[in-house]
Amino acid sequence: MSDPDRRKFLSFTTCAIGGGVGVVAVAPLVRLVVDPAGKQTVSSPREPLDLGPASRFVAEPMKVEIVAPVIKDAWAAARDVVLGAAYIRRVGDGLDARSAVCPHLGCAVAFDRAQNNYLCPCHDSRFALDGAKLSGPSERGLDQLPLQVVNGRVLLTWERYKTGQSKKEPV
Amino acid sequence: MKRVLGFLRERVAASTTTPLEISGGASFAYVFGKVLVFLLVVQAATGAALAAFYSPSSTDAWASVAYIQDQAAWGWLVRGLHFHGGSAIVVIAGLHLVQTALAGAHKKPRELVWWLGVLLLVLVLAWAVTGLVLRWDQLGYWSNRVEVGIAAGTPVVGETIQKLALGGNDYGNLTLTRFYALHVIVLPALVTVLVVAHIVIARRHGITSIRTGAASPRWPDQAIRDAMAMAIVFAILLGFVVQQHGTSLEAPADPTRAFDARPLWYFRWLFELRELSGSAEQLVAMAVPAIVGGYLIALPIVDRRGKRWLGGLAGLCAIVIGLTVMSFARDASDDELAKRQDEAAMRAGRARAIARNYGVPATGGQDIWSMAPMWKARTLYAQRCASCHDEDSKDRKGPVIAPGFMNRAWIGAFLRAPSSDPFWGRTKLAKTEAAMAAVDVEPQKLEQLVEAIYAQTGARDVDVAKRDAGRKLIDEICSDCHSLAEGVSATGPNLAGLGTRSHFTSFVSNPKSGVHMGDSSEMPRFDDELTIVERDAIAEYLVWLRTATPVDLRALGPL
Repeated sequence: MSDPDRRKFLSFTTCAIGGGVGVVAVAPLVRLVVDPAGKQTVSSPREPLDLGPASRFVAEPMKVEIVAPVIKDAWAAARDVVLGAAYIRRVGDGLDARSAVCPHLGCAVAFDRAQNNYLCPCHDSRFALDGAKLSGPSERGLDQLPLQVVNGRVLLTWERYKTGQSKKEPV
Repeated sequence: MKRVLGFLRERVAASTTTPLEISGGASFAYVFGKVLVFLLVVQAATGAALAAFYSPSSTDAWASVAYIQDQAAWGWLVRGLHFHGGSAIVVIAGLHLVQTALAGAHKKPRELVWWLGVLLLVLVLAWAVTGLVLRWDQLGYWSNRVEVGIAAGTPVVGETIQKLALGGNDYGNLTLTRFYALHVIVLPALVTVLVVAHIVIARRHGITSIRTGAASPRWPDQAIRDAMAMAIVFAILLGFVVQQHGTSLEAPADPTRAFDARPLWYFRWLFELRELSGSAEQLVAMAVPAIVGGYLIALPIVDRRGKRWLGGLAGLCAIVIGLTVMSFARDASDDELAKRQDEAAMRAGRARAIARNYGVPATGGQDIWSMAPMWKARTLYAQRCASCHDEDSKDRKGPVIAPGFMNRAWIGAFLRAPSSDPFWGRTKLAKTEAAMAAVDVEPQKLEQLVEAIYAQTGARDVDVAKRDAGRKLIDEICSDCHSLAEGVSATGPNLAGLGTRSHFTSFVSNPKSGVHMGDSSEMPRFDDELTIVERDAIAEYLVWLRTATPVDLRALGPL
């Protein structure tokens, strides 16, 4: 083997060993770091949540906190966790529930009693009583949440929807 | 000393012959890089100290930051230096960048130094973003929601970025551990490597001389200028931190409560630009930073002749400053915003006071309110009971409930005039035949009656002789309508255990029960509306009121 050949061979082998060790060392690391991305790391209640008697809701939207009986967050479990809020109001004989999560970027929307509509404090999106968008950067109105009245009690199913798009799509 | 230095020089194989020199002479113009390194060291040192206290989990993060800020000795100072030190780095790095461009030091052959500098600036901004969320207060939480929301809007890969950033599907423990790892391990390591490369390569090129005098040695001619600059910057930083008492800490992150999230001041121009761009904001949020970054990267390539492109840099600076001023001015003229911010500040102060006095519950900062004495009960009381029972309420319909409720004085006054205004006076019952008649006995007997009823509350300071005499009187005067035997219904309320916690729980659950007011009660039953835990909490509060004074009530703080 000539000297240049030998040097070429040694260089190649050194790089190959280094690369091999690098890949083997890095692969488990990458696998670990991306692991949670594909998982539901924070559980979300699938069962409808009981919000009490339907009679307590009136035409003006009332804020209700969404409290999950049990939530698992990675390694920790907790009872009675507040997940978010919804606004419920009476429309004729029925009830209408709107998630307080702004469809723009997920800030918490608040009911503005003075103007009788909803305001998102982050980027000033405004929504009408029926959830329709009035102004601001949000691409859609406030998301309606599935709600049933069974034996006079309100059962609400909590759902988070993707933000920043005009289509309403569960996360 | 000289011998020690000589020994070390030899052992590290350092040259002793050629002292490092600055061509053209030392100058204050060359201090910026050194000041930046100094500030980075300050960040490393303060960061290490903070890391010794900080706990990156969704339940502990806010609590540990509140502990650093409000309880650990000088914690606010170290935290303030770390937070505002980040701002100082952005300011000095900006000056360093502008100065480099003005001196033409970005041009061939120093492009790589420039690019490393631009990359470092980006990493410094990433440092700020990953650091802000760690405090897990309303500001950190909602700012991060917006930032990750913007990243999630990236075409195609947005959703994956979001999942990787959050460590799963939603904000939680893995979000904090992730940002913490980035903030204290990944970014410091990257910045260290790039800073070393940036300096080593810059040194090889030597400075772009802006002076034409004789060369002067780095030590001590330049070093004294560097040291002075560091001292001035640190003095300003320290003064600002002391004046601000560290930095803000809002109430714990609360996913249900709206918050006026505003980005850090050096991102305000982007925030304003988004506000102004209406429906194009997603595009603007992605494109503008890319254009600015692209411009800075392209500068050494396109800027070969003259200083034409530097006009662009001046324009960029003017736009950034203008937008920043506009954003702050708009907020300053928004009265509604000011009101909401006052409310948020009140909540922050309250939460931190509770954390100091009672600790943060192990279930997390969002449950901090539950640690204040009787907070749950007082909240429920304010929502469900106050309009009918508060002295100040215009719509009061029932007896006043206030400190001293059902103590001796209260019972005595009640017996003397049960249908007077503070008692049943506002009820429909008071105007009917069924209303209780005033107890008309001599003072000594009244005292005995009071003692017998007071004894029912479970109070410890009962005069037994008076109580026993009072019981006999109850048998004589009151037994037509009231019974002292547990569970017996009569025309009037049963007196057994009156004013105890279990009595109140039972009463609140169903005042229309035969052992309480019966059908004559206008008060609704609450066993449907409130859980047994909530009713019990209200009962505990009512019992507490018996021995409380208005001063005690105020000491519990606002809700």
